[in-house]
Amino acid sequence: MRRDDKHSTSVQSMQDPKVMPEKIEALLEANGASDITVGGYEAMTGGYSRLMAQFEASFTIDGTSESGIYVLRGDPPEGTAIIDTDRTQEFEVLQAVKPHLNTPAARFLDGDGAHIGTPALILDYTTAESTLPWIEQNGVRSLPEKLAELAGAIHTIPVDTLPDSLQRPSSGDPLTDQIAMWKHTAHEHVEALPIFHYVASWLDTHRPPSVPVSLVHHDFSTANMLVDDQGDLVIIDFELASVGDPREDLGYFKAYAQAAPPDIIDESPEAFLNRYREITGFSEDQVNPSVLTYFLVLGVIGVVSQLSATGSEMARGNTASTNIAFTLDGLLFGQAAWMAATDALEAALDGEE
Amino acid sequence: MLTQPTTDKILLAIADDLNAVVAPAIRDEQAKVLLGQAEQLLRRLSRRSASEIAWMVEEIAQIEEATGQERSQADGESLLLSDVAERYSRASQALAEAIDEAFESGDSQKLGELKQVLSSRIAREQEILGQLDLIGRG
Repeated sequence: MRRDDKHSTSVQSMQDPKVMPEKIEALLEANGASDITVGGYEAMTGGYSRLMAQFEASFTIDGTSESGIYVLRGDPPEGTAIIDTDRTQEFEVLQAVKPHLNTPAARFLDGDGAHIGTPALILDYTTAESTLPWIEQNGVRSLPEKLAELAGAIHTIPVDTLPDSLQRPSSGDPLTDQIAMWKHTAHEHVEALPIFHYVASWLDTHRPPSVPVSLVHHDFSTANMLVDDQGDLVIIDFELASVGDPREDLGYFKAYAQAAPPDIIDESPEAFLNRYREITGFSEDQVNPSVLTYFLVLGVIGVVSQLSATGSEMARGNTASTNIAFTLDGLLFGQAAWMAATDALEAALDGEE
Repeated sequence: MLTQPTTDKILLAIADDLNAVVAPAIRDEQAKVLLGQAEQLLRRLSRRSASEIAWMVEEIAQIEEATGQERSQADGESLLLSDVAERYSRASQALAEAIDEAFESGDSQKLGELKQVLSSRIAREQEILGQLDLIGRG
């Protein structure tokens, strides 16, 4: 397909309220639901990677009638996604983690897009509020401890209960895998990235003590958290999840907070670290402020490699969208943050000697 | 060829109009996000377009000095953006390889010199980036 034939923005396709109720009804019916009515279909904002919409529905399934608001989450038109992930895997992960986490249930899957027109899943709607607006109104309060509890809950889910489709460290060591991904990303990018080379070598020479692998969310940020009416954090969006070093999530959280403050961890670092260590059983050598700084750099490569790959495809003329160009600029912010973090950690280590 | 107003000024004017005139008229939430992204991009492109060829040429010379390469002859070389970007990427690759070698050999003095080039690059990238607003996320 020529580039000109594709949609040039992601505001397309799944966002048509005239046709979507019928498609959702077909998906529900294919999953065994009856007496189905769907309405109130409305596009949602809140993320860059997938298309989202909310709708009202009532139906009967397994002999039980239910009605409420639900969320449809689907892939954008081909060639416009900023990251490439799989809805079937996301659905399986959501079902596996639901017993352990405060997250909306995944209800129905259209893995090949046969009904919705694009691979999609249906989730329960949550009335919880977006985290940053909640903080603006209520302050940080006990969120550092709540964040530690959320991270601890994710990172203590038994790995053998997670879907087999979830990527595991191929080398057996998650740090080795992630450092290799830094090098691979630099190699594959459309132009040379000397800062990536610096970061990869620096990460390799400053490895912290290891911890057992766990589920890693990989986009663990306030953008993917909500606050419910109990003041507890709700976690959403597991599309980038894999098995790896749990501290990648903590570092990623800090990295993202630099671009979208406040950093909840920095509001009360000791309260956060103590509670997190208490839940996970990790030692102070394994999780401390310096280790978080290390993972602030290492933990972003999953998202960075995806943005880099999509940006390269745009440079080669194989795809294009404002969203891709916009998110690629995040690398400019990131490169400064990573280099500053390596300098800060080296200064801290020099001070310890 | 009319060169005035220069590209950077025109891009800035478009961004200002999008923000002041078009944005308030938009009701669709997704279109608002897209417009906000476009406006930020236009402001960055304005800053880039004014200086990026000069910046790349300067940094190529800086890299050649830091990596001990023979200075390339700038006179007579194409100043087409794509050609300069290609030369810049080749110089960046040489810098990347020098960084790898400095880490492998533990040559901290050389590494410090090479980091200076990275610091200059980051300073310019920050100038291009300006304020980062992750509009529409979270």
